[in-house]
Amino acid sequence: MNGFPDDPKNMPTRLGRRGLFAGSLAFGALAGGRWASVPAAAAALRRTAVPGTVPRLVPMRPHADQIADIKVCLRPFRAAGPRLDVERVGGKVVIHNYGHGGSGWSLSWGSAEMAVGKAAALSPRRVAVVGCGVIGLTTALTAQRAGLDVTIYTRDLLPHTRSVRANGSWTPDSRVALTAPAGPQFADTWERMARYSWKSYRDYLGLPGNPIDFRDSYVLSDTPFDAPEPEPENPDHKGDYATTGMPQQSSEFASYGERIRDIIPASELLSAQENPFAVPYARREPLMIFNFGAYGHLLLSEFYQAGGRIVIREFHTPADMKTLPEPVIINCPGYAARDLWGDRSLIPVRGQTAWLPPQPDVAYGVRYKGASALSKSDGLMIQGFDMSGLGEMDGVGNSFEHADRSEAEKAIGIFENLFARFPAGQG
Amino acid sequence: MRGLQARLRDAALGAGLLALSVQVAHAAPARAGTSYYTAAQAGRGATAYQQFCAVCHGADLGGAFDVPPLVGRFAANWAGAPLGALFDYMSKAMPLFAPGTLTPEQNADLLAFMLRENGAPAGSRDLTPEGLKTMMFPKMTFATVK
Repeated sequence: MNGFPDDPKNMPTRLGRRGLFAGSLAFGALAGGRWASVPAAAAALRRTAVPGTVPRLVPMRPHADQIADIKVCLRPFRAAGPRLDVERVGGKVVIHNYGHGGSGWSLSWGSAEMAVGKAAALSPRRVAVVGCGVIGLTTALTAQRAGLDVTIYTRDLLPHTRSVRANGSWTPDSRVALTAPAGPQFADTWERMARYSWKSYRDYLGLPGNPIDFRDSYVLSDTPFDAPEPEPENPDHKGDYATTGMPQQSSEFASYGERIRDIIPASELLSAQENPFAVPYARREPLMIFNFGAYGHLLLSEFYQAGGRIVIREFHTPADMKTLPEPVIINCPGYAARDLWGDRSLIPVRGQTAWLPPQPDVAYGVRYKGASALSKSDGLMIQGFDMSGLGEMDGVGNSFEHADRSEAEKAIGIFENLFARFPAGQG
Repeated sequence: MRGLQARLRDAALGAGLLALSVQVAHAAPARAGTSYYTAAQAGRGATAYQQFCAVCHGADLGGAFDVPPLVGRFAANWAGAPLGALFDYMSKAMPLFAPGTLTPEQNADLLAFMLRENGAPAGSRDLTPEGLKTMMFPKMTFATVK
């Protein structure tokens, strides 16, 4: 199993959001500082949506009695970032590729490229990939594209892997590391991964079944976006990772999004006249999403078409790797590495998503009050990602991989209430 | 379409696996007379199972969509493997929501219960954390599969 629930936290928030506006101002200044009209100036300075460009939105139908599934996953978080080192087990070379926190989907292709690069350097004819979540699958495909003969050894296939219990949207620095333990070198590694993945995903846009797609994501707030927000502080946690071995505060988590702002479409504010939600402040940002069903089947098909083989197998100890015929093994077990490899540096970060019937006529997502609703091809996904005000600490250290229906209903309730007042100013 | 070569390769691999499983059968027969655990111990394990494990793996050990069952495929996966490896895994990784919180005795009782549910016969001696280190998970047969 592999990877893990990406969550919407890392779309511009808090510091990132302030940076975004600062960046827009700088860009406006570069453009010359002359505006033809007041609206043009507003648009350039604050990226206010041009009047008439906000589409008429079909309301979501978020009701708790429509729950079709609740999925829970444990993000495989490591303070220092994903494990990417190489070790020897008996006569085998094992290249690790796991521990991507809430960014496994987003970083998968870039991380695969790095792991496969190390494998290819050894000039094997064939490689084994252990694990078949999104990290394992993309690693296997990348290895095939590098000309290698690939066998995947895995306990489970999609949709049984933890990967598929994510929310499936572009969140490349969602609890992927802590700033201090990861250090500046990982920031560079992260950027390389994120840029490589972004381009890889763009190659899957516009295909039948929309395996990869974009959604307008509406971020709503009861207070102005540029008003200072208090950093969430958890009174129950003292110290930091260095002193306790566990993250203790939101502020410890790394934020690298600014590094790739040049390729990630910016958000824009909605004027009061354009805002259809009964919430005073709204902005719209394009969000890349991964439709699990279409994308997962496509990746598996590509793997088989290129001659890949899958062996269903569960490893009991790392020594089992010695029994594989392949000399080089790329290890992509996700959270399972905690117990299989005894990697205690893996910290579980619980996440839960509720799935309602698909609403294909709804082509957008909404974030409000620490919850996210996102219309995907396999359902209306609703996730409470920060309903307790804990920020990035939400779910950290929690390995209860069991559905909490009351949490799901609470998150759905936020949107049920929102859409009961939709569109604003009517009814 | 897969070529003849690939199919031959699969056949060869299949034969290899068959050879491996025959070897396993020799190594770890669930033969009468082997004492894995006592009926009383499996009973204690059943109580602990309902308390700590059933919430995820199900009262009947059948698992769920996202949770591995502890019978059926589970037996095939562990047949012939050292019980010590399974015991270590349970001790470190389970229960998932509070890993490592059960005592060695509780884990041995749970393992006794799982052996019972997978068709291994009860015997005259308790399964102990020390004793199980030299034992293998028994291979299921037509007579023991449930």
